Amino acid sequence: MQNNLTAYYKPYMLLAPALLVLVVFFLGGLAFALLQSFGYFPVIGLNKLSLEYYSKVLGQREFYASLGFTFYISFVSTALSTIVAIYLANYMVNLKRKNKFIDFLYKLPIAVPHIVAALMVVFLLSQGGFVARIFFKLGLLNETAQFPPLFYSRSAIGIILIYMWKEIPFITLMVYTVMNNIHKRLGEAASTLKASPRDVFYQVTLPLSMPSIISASAIVFAFSFGAFEIPYLLGASYPKTLSVWAYFNYISPDLLNRPVAMVISIVLTSFCVLLVGVYYVFMKNLRQWG
Amino acid sequence: MFRLGQISIILLIFAVMMVGTFGCGKQNKSSDDNIMDKSWEEILAEAKGTTVNFYMWGGDERINNWIDSYVAQNMQEQYGIKVNRVPMDAAEFINKLLGEKLVNRTNGSIDLLWINGENFRTARKADMLWGPFAEKIPNYNKYVDKDAPDIAYDFGFPVDGYEVPYGKAQFVFAYDTAKVSSPPISSAQLMEWVKENPGRFTYPELPDFTGSVFIRHLMYELCGGYEAFPYIEEVDVEQLDSQLKPLWDYLNEMKQYLWRQGKTYPAQIAQLDQLFADGEIDFTMTYQPSRISGMIDLGLLPSTVRTFVWDKGTIANTHFLAVPFNAPNKGGAMALANFLMSPEAQISKYDPLQWGDMLALDINKLETKYVEQINRVDLGIATLPADVLADHRLPEISSAYIEAIEDLWRKNVMK
Amino acid sequence: MYNNKSKSNERSNRVILNSLPFKKIIVLLFFSMLMFPFIVLILWAFSKHWPAGAILPVEWGLRGWHYMLNPQNKMLGVIGVSFGLSLSVTLLAIIISIPAGKALGLHDFPLKNLVEILVLAPIIIPPITVGMGIHIAFIKYGLADTFLGVMLIHLVVVLPYGIRIFASVYKAMGRKWDEQSRALKAKGWQRFLYVSLPMLRPGLIASGILMFNVSFSQYFLTFLIGGGKIVTLPLVLFPYVNSGDRVVGSVISLVFIMVALVFMIVVEKAITDGRQQPQYYYL
Repeated sequence: MQNNLTAYYKPYMLLAPALLVLVVFFLGGLAFALLQSFGYFPVIGLNKLSLEYYSKVLGQREFYASLGFTFYISFVSTALSTIVAIYLANYMVNLKRKNKFIDFLYKLPIAVPHIVAALMVVFLLSQGGFVARIFFKLGLLNETAQFPPLFYSRSAIGIILIYMWKEIPFITLMVYTVMNNIHKRLGEAASTLKASPRDVFYQVTLPLSMPSIISASAIVFAFSFGAFEIPYLLGASYPKTLSVWAYFNYISPDLLNRPVAMVISIVLTSFCVLLVGVYYVFMKNLRQWG
Repeated sequence: MFRLGQISIILLIFAVMMVGTFGCGKQNKSSDDNIMDKSWEEILAEAKGTTVNFYMWGGDERINNWIDSYVAQNMQEQYGIKVNRVPMDAAEFINKLLGEKLVNRTNGSIDLLWINGENFRTARKADMLWGPFAEKIPNYNKYVDKDAPDIAYDFGFPVDGYEVPYGKAQFVFAYDTAKVSSPPISSAQLMEWVKENPGRFTYPELPDFTGSVFIRHLMYELCGGYEAFPYIEEVDVEQLDSQLKPLWDYLNEMKQYLWRQGKTYPAQIAQLDQLFADGEIDFTMTYQPSRISGMIDLGLLPSTVRTFVWDKGTIANTHFLAVPFNAPNKGGAMALANFLMSPEAQISKYDPLQWGDMLALDINKLETKYVEQINRVDLGIATLPADVLADHRLPEISSAYIEAIEDLWRKNVMK
Repeated sequence: MYNNKSKSNERSNRVILNSLPFKKIIVLLFFSMLMFPFIVLILWAFSKHWPAGAILPVEWGLRGWHYMLNPQNKMLGVIGVSFGLSLSVTLLAIIISIPAGKALGLHDFPLKNLVEILVLAPIIIPPITVGMGIHIAFIKYGLADTFLGVMLIHLVVVLPYGIRIFASVYKAMGRKWDEQSRALKAKGWQRFLYVSLPMLRPGLIASGILMFNVSFSQYFLTFLIGGGKIVTLPLVLFPYVNSGDRVVGSVISLVFIMVALVFMIVVEKAITDGRQQPQYYYL
């Protein structure tokens, strides 16, 4: 009897420390943010729940500009990274012998933090950067300032490139392992059936590795959607991404802007959750067609 | 039996205890309520061996270096106090203090602040500063002209002993004589120049303080001078907006000729400097008249760069030091403030090779040996003579305006 | 993709796209783009004077490395704090994740779905929301500005990875090993030490490296909760991204990468079995 009881509680005991951390600090933080977004902030005398701050934020044009800009950066960087990564993973799977050098190369960026990646890409691609200097010396530009502005611009190409530089190896690594297993098991069978490599890829490898592609690109998407540092450092003055805009409201000396900051970050969070959810459902359906 | 489940429960208890002891244990000690009754010697004796956390804007490598080397070494030698410089923008440390004030945290983390203008006003209004303490500082009593308008008031807001002067600044522009023959010295000339040289001028995005002061120069010229903005407590934003209409018109007319067609602005002054050093733009601006000379000496800028002021003058102001309400080491903070106001430190800071910040002390109160030292400091090839600067000095307006202007700029110009 | 093109065009395109030299060029181009930034970084790190417009530095030097070693700049302390912080976060997270992973990998229990969602959520939900939400409570309870506070908030970010990795390791391992050793009357700790632990190895490597890297490169939460008191490498590096002395910025970056790489290599060697298990990163 007692043994049964311990068996019943055992998983909870095992989970207790982890749940303590996640419930107190993660759910706690989320709950505080949520309460403040509804205008409940007793320390500054706001005691009533209201939708005032939501209507204040959602009624601004800046909000839609910011949301669009954030979505644009995440979507473009995730989509391009995913496509390139699939191409690379497939290429590496089809290599006759495993290239150790390539193996090392594409793991390296995983150990390089985003902030270092940002710094390197800036040194490379800013208007005074390395590539601009080479173009200038080659006579392609009359002065380095003619190099297209990739940073602090609304096109956000620089930010997207930084994310791609970081995420392509990440997705490749995840997809490659799965593709390699599939290829070993099924690829040879398919080629003995005289299927072209192209058909093997589209009919076998791609559909079967879809779950890993979905999950890798969903992580990347959620990450870039909520990321703060790089758009803060290298984004345009206007519009700002949601996270940066939220932060500016958070540090405003006017405490009434705190609930506004929380509204923006809650909206940001909801979109992350929603988009990852939609993405899942969409990709699942896509897989069924394949 | 020793099972994973049990280990995990022990861990849990341990974790809760740890948070309990570390988390709440720190709040108990608060020792310095009576510090104002102590003598200066007692304060110094108690501060010996402590660390002062000095929170300041960290955007200038040379200033940081001056604090970390000259100030830190001398504080250690003279007072036995360690200086821990923490780089943080004023908006961020004000926000941090605001948070601490909200939850009544009596044992804070900041001992001394570099502060001025609208941040001082915010801090005073929210009662976040400790004081008045200025009269306790020997070098303040000895060397400072306490009644001078730029010492007794900070952007028009009464100082009341809640901060002590640390240095003075006057805005100047810089340009490369090898590239620009005659720089524009008024708002009208600037507009003309920018239209003739599209893409070669910009200014830092507000609320960067250099960007913010640049806008105020235009405002003075276009909207009736500083006299049109008398001291006030609260700003009527709509009225101000219409009063500043000529300024917004000017900036919007100029916008398409700016760097990147004014679609974006450098976020900080350091970025503007970088653009200037990289040759992307033809002007930079600074609050420190001899800073450019220092940068030339360090090889960061070509030796053909010079500074200039506008015909009708440029804005000067004072920066200060303040102690937060919950500073854990108020004595150490006061010792550091005293050192920073000593003639030795001020003269070291005045040297463009170090920092190039202007003196906060009254030169008439200094001993002759210090005056001679000051006269010997080489201000560098790019620095304007002191009398030129003095003849072109404009006062700041009330800090209540500053945030309103910055918000209006975002609304009228940036979007 | 080829909608606008004629059929023959499409075919020739396919041929080109699939031809080996073309693929090789594309892949080579990609890998060189991957490496190119490192080369520029190394050039900057060893330059003394690299004026605007020049393709290569005109003077070489070790200025940045002197900056790194000069005690006045406290860089060695910063490296120590960063490494110590991430290492303790990683160890603590591993200790907490193993039992949690076991629960999720081997047991079925009511509300399991909810727990799984909770364990996934911190990967999806931006740290900025959680950080700004909890900041005021951290100030109130004295956790802000402390090493412990930063550790706890890092723990939230890294735990999901650890738990998910160990859950899948336990799942793959199954219960039979535990039951067999139980039948052999091995004590609880013996079973863990001699049976479970060796099988957890790949999980230890994967989770150790991943969690360390996530913690080691965390900027926002360290900055917000550490309040300037806890200074780590990302905080020092932050301003160099868009301004400041590029030589110093490059040296800090290189050191940053080297510490992360050395940790990776040491962990892989120390726990042997260098087989990567990237499938653990899946959602």
